[in-house]
Amino acid sequence: MPPKGKAAPKPKGTENIKPSTSSSNSTSSPAAQQPTTSTSPSGNTPTAPSTIGERSQQRFHESRPFDAARQKLGLSGLSQAEQTGWVSSQLAARSSTSTGSSRRTTPRLGPKAQRELWRHVNDASLPIRTLKNKKSAPTPADVWGTDRAGQKIAGYSIARYEERAAKRTALTALQVTSRAFREARERAKRGLVVTRDHREQPIVLVESAKDVQEEKQRRRQMAALRRELYGEMTGEFRQDPEWDGVEPIPQVEPEAALATISYPEEYAEAISYLRAVMLQKEYSPRCLRLTDHIISMNAAHYTVWLYRAANVFALQLPIPDEIDWLNGVALANLKNYQIWHHRHLLVDNYYPTLASGPPSTLSRFADSEREFLSAILAHDTKNYHVWSYRSYLVSKLGLFDAAEIAAMAALIGDDVRNNSAWSHRFFVVFSDPRQSTPGTAATDADPAVPREVVDREAQYAMDKIYLAPQNQSAWNYLRGVLVKGGRGMRSVEGFVSEFVRGLGEGEEREDVLSTHALDLLAEICKEKGERERADLCLRRLGEKWDRIRVGYWEWRRRCLDDGQ
Amino acid sequence: MIPDLFTELPPVRDALVTETSKQQDKTADLCLSYLAGDSGEQLLEYNEHGVPRLRRDSHVRFLHKSLGPLPAGFMAADASRPWFLYWALSALVILGEDVSHYREAVAETARAMQNDSGGFGGGGRQLSHLATTYAIVLSIALVGDEDAYEVIDRKAMWRWLCSLKQTDGGFQLGLGGEEDIRGAYCAAVIITLLNIPLELTPESPAWKEDGSATLFTGLAGYVRRCQTFEGGISGQPDVEAHGAYAFCALGCLALLDHPRRIIPRYLNVPRLVSWMSSRQYAPEGGFSGRTNKLVDGCYSHWVGGCFPLIEACLSPVDEDKKGGTAAAAAASKLPPAPESLFSREGLIRYILCCCQDTSKRGGLRDKPGKLSDAYHSCYVLSGLSSAQHQWELAPSEETSPATGRADPVWRVMPYLEDNDENDVQIFDQKDRLRPIHPVYAIPIQSQEAIRDYFLVVDGLKKL
Ligand SMILES: [Zn+2]
Repeated sequence: MPPKGKAAPKPKGTENIKPSTSSSNSTSSPAAQQPTTSTSPSGNTPTAPSTIGERSQQRFHESRPFDAARQKLGLSGLSQAEQTGWVSSQLAARSSTSTGSSRRTTPRLGPKAQRELWRHVNDASLPIRTLKNKKSAPTPADVWGTDRAGQKIAGYSIARYEERAAKRTALTALQVTSRAFREARERAKRGLVVTRDHREQPIVLVESAKDVQEEKQRRRQMAALRRELYGEMTGEFRQDPEWDGVEPIPQVEPEAALATISYPEEYAEAISYLRAVMLQKEYSPRCLRLTDHIISMNAAHYTVWLYRAANVFALQLPIPDEIDWLNGVALANLKNYQIWHHRHLLVDNYYPTLASGPPSTLSRFADSEREFLSAILAHDTKNYHVWSYRSYLVSKLGLFDAAEIAAMAALIGDDVRNNSAWSHRFFVVFSDPRQSTPGTAATDADPAVPREVVDREAQYAMDKIYLAPQNQSAWNYLRGVLVKGGRGMRSVEGFVSEFVRGLGEGEEREDVLSTHALDLLAEICKEKGERERADLCLRRLGEKWDRIRVGYWEWRRRCLDDGQ
Repeated sequence: MIPDLFTELPPVRDALVTETSKQQDKTADLCLSYLAGDSGEQLLEYNEHGVPRLRRDSHVRFLHKSLGPLPAGFMAADASRPWFLYWALSALVILGEDVSHYREAVAETARAMQNDSGGFGGGGRQLSHLATTYAIVLSIALVGDEDAYEVIDRKAMWRWLCSLKQTDGGFQLGLGGEEDIRGAYCAAVIITLLNIPLELTPESPAWKEDGSATLFTGLAGYVRRCQTFEGGISGQPDVEAHGAYAFCALGCLALLDHPRRIIPRYLNVPRLVSWMSSRQYAPEGGFSGRTNKLVDGCYSHWVGGCFPLIEACLSPVDEDKKGGTAAAAAASKLPPAPESLFSREGLIRYILCCCQDTSKRGGLRDKPGKLSDAYHSCYVLSGLSSAQHQWELAPSEETSPATGRADPVWRVMPYLEDNDENDVQIFDQKDRLRPIHPVYAIPIQSQEAIRDYFLVVDGLKKL
């Protein structure tokens, strides 16, 4: 091996290079480096570098004694001695580092030439290693990178840089202590403890709460330092000793991936831990807390919900506790769907317990569910997910009862146009297993429905139609009730006629208070075989009273001829 | 120049004020100003029919942008990224854009979302979900080509679908997840597009020892249980009828057998058509999703897209060619639809006047005052395309020997308003969009290409 170029170069001539004491390997312990003197690029006056970037630049040139002059003047502009010096420095640098590809491009010197070269190098004290300055690489001043604020570290004053170095030292110290904590914990897990003479002994060491607290504090400091020094965000989980031993799986997107999202760091970190614990099929209180944390950020993540349910069931948590937690989440995420499926799973799981207890257990639970549903529907009376869940709850717990019908009556009382409440009422009344035939289509008659139920519901709908005759919810309900009861539409002809006056008697006399009444009247006329009058109803709907649906009314007119 | 149907409130209105009527009145007033062109958003140029041009370039830009990268605010979409692919690609294709340059990116994205156990999740290492799988499969079909098709692990897909199949005929959307009619539609699309064998694995909850149960057993019956007393379709049995689910129901049925045969067999068509037609409001012109709810641009597809299926199912059967099947005879009791069962003009006015974001943002929206998004852009444009075209089913109802199902042949043609002199085309001819398949909601060429590719692979043997 050739000697290391520790000696300062002694350049010939008047190049703007001054001797230096340092080698090229200056980045390994910058804090230990002392500022060096140098000349300015053009003159002879040495100036102390004011920033570490300048200092790097100077050291770079010191490692390449003839480069600056050669670049300025060209090789031919150098004196004979300078040319020899430059060539030698090039060869020395190459032969000292020549491996792999450079060996192929640089012809090896014969033994004699080698001896000559190294003699010259030693005489001239040429540096044999140069700081790289590839075109694609950053300039020496740039290799320092930028700090968290995007400022170039190369522009730091030396004092400021030293302050930074001190922080790095502090971080290293914290890391060492923290590593010791983790190792101790690891050994404790295996039931081992290290004695003073560094031997592991099988003593169970119980980690004190104070130790954990100190470690948490330590990690917070480390996180703060990392953030300050490197802009590196250390997530909550990394800082939390509870999550030691879980190697997070970060999301790696293919380079070309579409619709990628710049996740907030807190979210990305939590998800990377979720992936890790899901892969391990871990079910534990900390996993439950993790799902809570993720749901608080993104309640639409269905995977985390299913995993939460698996945790709840694996840990056999009390279902009422989980429902209490869920209530809060539901109120914070009114539009969310997953919440309601989770609730569905919880009730499925809880049902055997409810059903095996005294009847009061089930009814108390039903009451609390209905109370919560009222509260949530007060925010959005037509929330589809809530209504879907309510339908499930009624089926599961058998709540085809007066209380459920009263709850619907209250909602319809508030807003007679609440179609969700009308739909639910229809289900509660006509799917009650005690008075309906299972499997009957909603649009088909059901002889199991008692006559008085049909009467009661038809009357209810008609009362509501008087309040707002153009409200289609009530009309659809009325029609549905009559179909269920197997009654012809003509059973309500008198009622329907109240909303249609002077039909076909000219613009002046014709008045329609409800297009839905006119629609039903057409059907009644058809039932009675009054084809012409049925056609008139439909024609007037298309011509005047409901023109946007003219295509449909025309089709209905055709239906009159086809025996439909 | 603008018919008074779209400039005035409807002739029948109630005096009683409730929360619902307040919202409805507010929306109707707002839409009136947009339909009349005096909303204050004056950037639109109106033609002689009072209809603005489609802001194609601005929508195209919006859609490319929604393919990402997306800012942190989209965190809530973390579990639905496949949808962003489908919405944007589908909307771009409907606008006539070439999306084949996204092929590799779609394949890469999909690969990272596929689970070894079958299906695609909403993102990497998320559980597989039928809705996101549907979105990925259609995105792959949209960009086309074998390289993209081959990303799909059909064998794992088949096993996964079997595990989702329930004894009541329906599909869970994910293992342990909810069961609803979206599952029925998404599964039917995936199965028929990828030529997935119908046999069940013994691990399937719906498996029967005698081998009689398949992926399609009881599926139409499940759909039927979702029809409500109103005539519309609910997400699950015993819930309120909802526009999005009407499309899922009809789409699912139309894949199980010939629409003309299966739709009247499983659904009460007169009640369904009554309910569908009731979804269109004047003066707004757009569709609502439920009785007494407001119009919303996305129902241009969910409800508007039901009309081609229903119209085709009502279309007259050529006596010579129909082959005298009993089911066709049953269906033919219903008269054919007139030129159109809904007001195409109303829907087109609503879309072009009310659903376009006229700011630099671009994209399409629910209604004035709402922000545009990829979801609404896709379904509003899909609705516009369907309002501009007419679909017909070829008369053959024969069962295809390759699939064991009737494979209906759809024919599309531009809908031309030339029935009488009162009918004029209100939109600029340059704004006519590309037609899409009425069931798969992608161009028919894309659908045929992926189907044919997988049809060559014969069922289980070469899975
Ligand atoms: Zn919408």
